[in-house]
Amino acid sequence: MDTARRRRASPDYLMAFDIDRYTSTSKKVQWGDLDFTEFERNPLPDATLRSLRYMADVEYHTVCYLRDLLVTPSHKEVDVSAFMTMWNREEFWHGEALSKVLGAHDVTLDYDELKATRLKLGWKDRLDPIKQSVLGNVIGKDFIAVHMIWGAANEWSAVAAYNRLADMEKHPVLSELLRRIAKQEARHVAFYATQARERLAKSKKAQVLARLALKGAWGPVGSSIMPAEEVTHVMGHLFSGPEGLREIRKLDEHISRMPGLEGLTIVETSMKKYGVAA
Amino acid sequence: MPRSHEVALDDMSIPAPDFDVRAYANDAQASYRDYLNLEAYRAHPLSADTLRILRYLQVVERGTMTHLRSVLVTATHKDARVTAFLISWAFEKYWIADALDQIIRAHEGGEADRAPFRTPVERTIRESIVANIIGLPMIAVHMTLGAVDEWLMQAAYRRLVELDPNPQLIDTVTRFLATKGRQLEFFEGQARNRLSTSTRAQKVTRRRLAKTPWPIGARAEPRENTEFFFGHLFSSHPSTIVEIDALVDSLAGQKNLNLMKRAAAL
Repeated sequence: MDTARRRRASPDYLMAFDIDRYTSTSKKVQWGDLDFTEFERNPLPDATLRSLRYMADVEYHTVCYLRDLLVTPSHKEVDVSAFMTMWNREEFWHGEALSKVLGAHDVTLDYDELKATRLKLGWKDRLDPIKQSVLGNVIGKDFIAVHMIWGAANEWSAVAAYNRLADMEKHPVLSELLRRIAKQEARHVAFYATQARERLAKSKKAQVLARLALKGAWGPVGSSIMPAEEVTHVMGHLFSGPEGLREIRKLDEHISRMPGLEGLTIVETSMKKYGVAA
Repeated sequence: MPRSHEVALDDMSIPAPDFDVRAYANDAQASYRDYLNLEAYRAHPLSADTLRILRYLQVVERGTMTHLRSVLVTATHKDARVTAFLISWAFEKYWIADALDQIIRAHEGGEADRAPFRTPVERTIRESIVANIIGLPMIAVHMTLGAVDEWLMQAAYRRLVELDPNPQLIDTVTRFLATKGRQLEFFEGQARNRLSTSTRAQKVTRRRLAKTPWPIGARAEPRENTEFFFGHLFSSHPSTIVEIDALVDSLAGQKNLNLMKRAAAL
């Protein structure tokens, strides 16, 4: 394993992702032009509101996920750091946009409620950065690859979830907003997938670690912070039935096309675990 | 987390009552590139000393993720209002660093600096354990660090254009100061409020402030660059240093720390 040489080489993982272009076009998702009074005439069903509430929580939680990334060596790289800055802000605004939709239905999701969710995570949450730091700094650069494929899997899932909900609802305001959000998530996919592909291709050790981590620990986005019954509701709501299964398999295909990750079916496996029926 | 902590957190749910985080996030200042007017420097270039200071400021401004690392591993990350602020704060600082990079490159040419950040020795594990034992008062520590750093950085930008009153640089720095002024409002409001309600927060903050190398991010820079920063900007104007220390004195429980006097070795 030629780690020393790899470490000296300048990080140039971003051939397919232009970070300057990304940062200079990074905007908070727009909804000012959408007519939210439409929700008075055409309100969303409860099952959808419940899923949106979950999605908003997860978006707001990105900053905590950022924390887990930051305790590993990844933040030292200029492009990764630039990406994290913009990505974190975009996700925050997704949270704001979704909570605005919830607000139009008298469901409040304010900063104090978010704080309550974070408080409930308790000690497990406090230990996370320590665990990550130990792993990240012992294993070093190869651990960044794990974060990148993990991020890619999450962002792919997010794109699929938002587009799926937009298709299911066909609501003039909600569906448009969700597609705008999905478009931004797709740019996050581009970053994470490019990073993951390059880093995995360069290191067998990274591939082994990534396989191990995904197989052993991956769960649907949000499953580490939300109650299991909420995960089951959202995943069932969005991904049950033959069309849902098709989406799930597409996600697994994306992941298993990565170097060294052939044959992984983590999304389908974890959906089954949460009782999502095809 | 014990129930009592939750209650305590709730007591502090609006520690900077006049500051609307949502409005701040909404108006966050993005790229300055349209206002930089870089051609102006061709006729009126900046001095070598000014450029050296700008390079130092650029390194310090772009170090947000390193700073967030030590902030987010503590109880501070639970406060959604504070994290909402910090997300936009990092975004605004990213664009200030970008503007500085553009100005430097307009003078020196070359590509953007893509070298990995120099970061201080990682003490994340220890930091995280200690900070989580301290718990809530850490938020006061982080907010006060932010306020003091803003006082210093704003003074630095003001001094820089006093020493090199280049009209274009003055225009750009004025824009930075408007952005930084809003950031300071939050940090200062939070710091004053949290410190005034907890003597424990005062004590922990005092210890932390005394141990912090200024400006935040200086630890990652070679010592001679920090010495040049203080020497060039403040040695001919020591009263600014005294004024910043007086501001620190005005925070509950933070009297006579002389942080800037010590950092500037004046």
